[in-house]
Amino acid sequence: MENFEPVIVAFCCHYCAYTAADMAGSQRLTYPANIKIIRVPCSGKVDAIHIIKAFEKGADGVYVAGCLDGDCHFKNGNNRASRRVEYVQKYLDEIGIGGERLEMVKMSAGMGYLFAKIASEMTEKIRKLGPSPVRPLTVQASQPTAS
Amino acid sequence: MVEMENIKVAQGHNKVLVIGGGLGGIRTALDLAESEKDVILVDKAYAVGGLMTQLDRTFPTNNCDLCTLSPNLSESGRKQHIELLTMTSVSGVRGEKGNFTVSLETAPRYINMDKCTACGECYKHFPECVRFTPGLDHRAPTCMRYPQATPQAFSVDLEKCTDINALIKICPAGAISPDDMGRRREVRCGSIVLSAGAALFDPSGLDYLGYSAEPDVVTNLEYERIMSASGPTMGQLVRPSNGKQPKKIAWIQCVGSRGLQKGAAPYCSSACCMIALKEAIVTKERFQNDIETAIFYMDMRTFGKDYELYLNRAKNKHGVRLIRSRPHSILRANNQDGLRLSYTTDDAGEMKNEDFDMVVLSTGFKIADDVRELSLKMGLTLNASGFAMTEEFSPVETSKSGIYVCGMSESPKDIPDTMVQASAAACMAGKDLEVSVKDPDGDLPPERDVTDEALRIGVFICDCGENIGGVLDVAKIAEYSQSLPNVVIAEPQGHGCSRQSMEQIQKSIIENKLNRVVIGGCSPRTHEAKFQEVIRRAGLNKFLVEIANIRDQATWVHAHLPEKATQKAQDLIRMAVGAVAEAHPLKEHNIPINKDVLVVGGGVTGMTTALRLADQGYKVYIAEKSDSLGGLGKVLHSTLSGVEVRPFVNDLIDKTKANANIQVILRAIIVDHSGMPGMFKTGMQTGPQMFYRTIQHGVTILATGAVANRPKQYLLGESEAVGTQLETDALLADAPETVKNWDNVVMIQCVGSRVPENPNCSRICCQSAIKNALRIRKLNPDGRIFVLYRDMRTYGFQEEYYLEARKQGVIFVRYSLDQLPKVEAAGNQVNVTFTDPILGRELMVTADRLCLSTGLAADEDSTEDLARIFKLPRTSDGFFLEDHVKLRPVDLPVPGFYVAGTAHSPKTIRESITQAQAVASRAQTLLARDSINLGAAVVRVDSNKCAACLICVRVCPFDVPFINADGYSEIDPAKCHGCGLCAAECPAKAIQLMQFEDDRIVAKLEQLFERMVG
Repeated sequence: MENFEPVIVAFCCHYCAYTAADMAGSQRLTYPANIKIIRVPCSGKVDAIHIIKAFEKGADGVYVAGCLDGDCHFKNGNNRASRRVEYVQKYLDEIGIGGERLEMVKMSAGMGYLFAKIASEMTEKIRKLGPSPVRPLTVQASQPTAS
Repeated sequence: MVEMENIKVAQGHNKVLVIGGGLGGIRTALDLAESEKDVILVDKAYAVGGLMTQLDRTFPTNNCDLCTLSPNLSESGRKQHIELLTMTSVSGVRGEKGNFTVSLETAPRYINMDKCTACGECYKHFPECVRFTPGLDHRAPTCMRYPQATPQAFSVDLEKCTDINALIKICPAGAISPDDMGRRREVRCGSIVLSAGAALFDPSGLDYLGYSAEPDVVTNLEYERIMSASGPTMGQLVRPSNGKQPKKIAWIQCVGSRGLQKGAAPYCSSACCMIALKEAIVTKERFQNDIETAIFYMDMRTFGKDYELYLNRAKNKHGVRLIRSRPHSILRANNQDGLRLSYTTDDAGEMKNEDFDMVVLSTGFKIADDVRELSLKMGLTLNASGFAMTEEFSPVETSKSGIYVCGMSESPKDIPDTMVQASAAACMAGKDLEVSVKDPDGDLPPERDVTDEALRIGVFICDCGENIGGVLDVAKIAEYSQSLPNVVIAEPQGHGCSRQSMEQIQKSIIENKLNRVVIGGCSPRTHEAKFQEVIRRAGLNKFLVEIANIRDQATWVHAHLPEKATQKAQDLIRMAVGAVAEAHPLKEHNIPINKDVLVVGGGVTGMTTALRLADQGYKVYIAEKSDSLGGLGKVLHSTLSGVEVRPFVNDLIDKTKANANIQVILRAIIVDHSGMPGMFKTGMQTGPQMFYRTIQHGVTILATGAVANRPKQYLLGESEAVGTQLETDALLADAPETVKNWDNVVMIQCVGSRVPENPNCSRICCQSAIKNALRIRKLNPDGRIFVLYRDMRTYGFQEEYYLEARKQGVIFVRYSLDQLPKVEAAGNQVNVTFTDPILGRELMVTADRLCLSTGLAADEDSTEDLARIFKLPRTSDGFFLEDHVKLRPVDLPVPGFYVAGTAHSPKTIRESITQAQAVASRAQTLLARDSINLGAAVVRVDSNKCAACLICVRVCPFDVPFINADGYSEIDPAKCHGCGLCAAECPAKAIQLMQFEDDRIVAKLEQLFERMVG
């Protein structure tokens, strides 16, 4: 468990969170490599199925990142995303994966530092929680090709 | 002095030169470019964007500017019609309208822009000589101006550079060129737009404000930088003196404006009240009860559309203290931590002292010396403050034919007014060009049909100099990519976005018969369009490319862990390969355009818009509900500056009637409407018999005006002596003899405005009161005039007339909502009783005339019907609501609809004309095209899966989906914004968002976890 490196999927909306991630890059901030970004036009586009699929495939953590309240490019997509995330968290609790492995975060396009901060905090949190209970089933005995 | 190189460039004159690349200049350039006209945009700064890029947030949305402005900027960098020249100034202008010759001088950047990738290595190692800073914040010399600058390049200050060779070596792209020379060149153009913006008043000369001595006294712009996420403190609000968070902040208004201090301008700077309110609200929003805010002001000038609501929010919701007073001095009390403000208010006779941690000076705007010099060089007539003069009813035309002005160069104003003027300037400047023949759609090869082909994916990995190649081994990544399924070829590609590499990629696609492409490089946000173009040129549908962002998301952020960065880059590329395999050729939606225009409303605004569009060859229908043209303009006689309105309006009516491209339909009542932008159909009943007819048109312009407000108050309509300002204006013109006999005149401001029933300010009433007061004074110099007001809102140059009225002895007395004036009939006269706040006593005046400043109200009857028929939103007080209050002030949220004049909000004739010209420009951006490209990122509904459950109908933020006659959800691609909310909620998964289909997202997830199972 010492060397546990979680894999975390970050669904980032194009207009704010993805831009913030780019900005973290151009400001040369660092955050753990465990975060893998998938770009979506709006955080509200992130389907419950996508989140569940990520866990099913072996993600140890997932977060959905959208615009700040009131700044959504599509009016209220970020708030819909928040509600959906809450719903899926309960579902994850029920099926034993644990709702705490999923989060909704909000940031503006200019907040590169916040993107990096959240990425680090999320990685730490999931590291503490340990591997997703789903993971051993799919990974079984096979070792990751890189350590 | 730098060496200059003279270059001669042979150029046609059929283009517009825009001087100044701030928000106004960008808007003008974009409008012209979208109307298929060529533009040269020059800015003396290192990147375009002007003042707005420095702001933290903007009122009244309190949005982050970077998010709203940066797409505009990159748009501006991309447009093929715009030639952008930064670090360039205008040194001379010769010639005349239709054929100007302009001399330009470009300062050396010492960086080859074709090679620079904006990686920032030079800046990291040599911050002292590489410019990426505005130099505006004197306390933070290294603050980044803004991270999304256009052009995305740095510049070098050679004089500060001690080791040029080291600087050259550090650049991975080899872009540093110390031999760079300044360039002098001449360009030709048909017309010129001056949008050079304004400078800020420098308060260092005013020692009683302590700006030079006290670090905790900052200007409003410095406060914006402190609050900004990209500012010197990364958005932490701290006191410059000790780095601690302030507990109490004061704003002082009118610093450098309204003629108050040494060197101050005589006018009102128009935007500072709103800026201070915004800064106070944002501060309160962030720190709530931890911080106290107080604004010291003279008159709170929130005269813009819905701005009064913003003021009420500041007061009532956020608890911002508003103190009507000018502090006498700011001093640091003996060894005290805080700054002591000494001030007095008119209810307290004595001086008060109050301590604050920080003081923000709301500094006004002024014309910069170099802009004044340039304006004179161009032969423009300037007013005493250096602003370019314009005629009352030609708001953007300077004294020199062919040269136009917009934004702060015309008068101080806020962003929405700047955007409107910028579009108006684009309309007028574009009119001077000859109509050009459009380029045919390039020589693109036909698109190859790849539907039945087996997958052949090509992967190209950029090394981006040290940016990617410095952290990981690009050749090895390419080797790894080669091993992925369906990958035919994978190779390193140097700087993928350089012209040479793009040609190689194009060649490789053809030679290897690739049908999908993955680029391992930087952000799709900035480079997707570029690579889409490359693969399109190679005969592929442009949507068959996927970009793996291995720079911003791997090498830049994991540089210290090269192994992990390599692993992640491989993950990202594998995900992209998996996703691109699911990509399908998509068609961008195009519809042909009907180029006719429907203008609803035949007042000054409607006629002006119609004439401007008819000049450009478009056919215009004016639908007017009354039986004549002219609207409210026919009722008004004189403007504040004393120009007669009637001759102007009559001339406008004659021109409209005589224009062959304009058809006027009187007594027209709109009854139905359908279609989409470029192909609308509107039905109306017209004429005395109410015949039904339909009109087909491409765009719709609402210029339906407003009505004069007439609240039943203060004996209006009951006493002969009481009338509105509009009626007074008519008496002044038609019955001067009557006016001469008015010995006592009282005016009451804000009648029916700024009250709970109608909370907004009517904008025009303060200036009309001043206008009528000055005219009455002229007829009867011995009479007494009292103006009872709450805040005098004579913004911009109107302030000078306010000053003149005070000089001429017009008496201004303030009243408040809890102490309203009382009016009683007294024979032919009225007794007006009011409290003088300074005397603290009640006074009574027996007035021969009581003028009520009642302003304008939305025409409830017509706007309600029109809003319903056209599906347009309105404000709570009934005016049409624009798409974006800041950036798209005359575009309505429904594409193809525009609004101008008083249908938008109350405004003067001059302001209405500006908007009329602006919508003409906005409409042309749509009409200039032969078809509309609606993009491809829209949703598609699978009718077989749709259960007509209505979830999409409810969830869509733009009300696009509906259940059609066949019983399934129909989503019009012309209206779809592409957010995908419906796709996410659709329980049957009948809806898919193109480019972001479920299969494609799941493919990414599958590929990401591939290495763990395999």
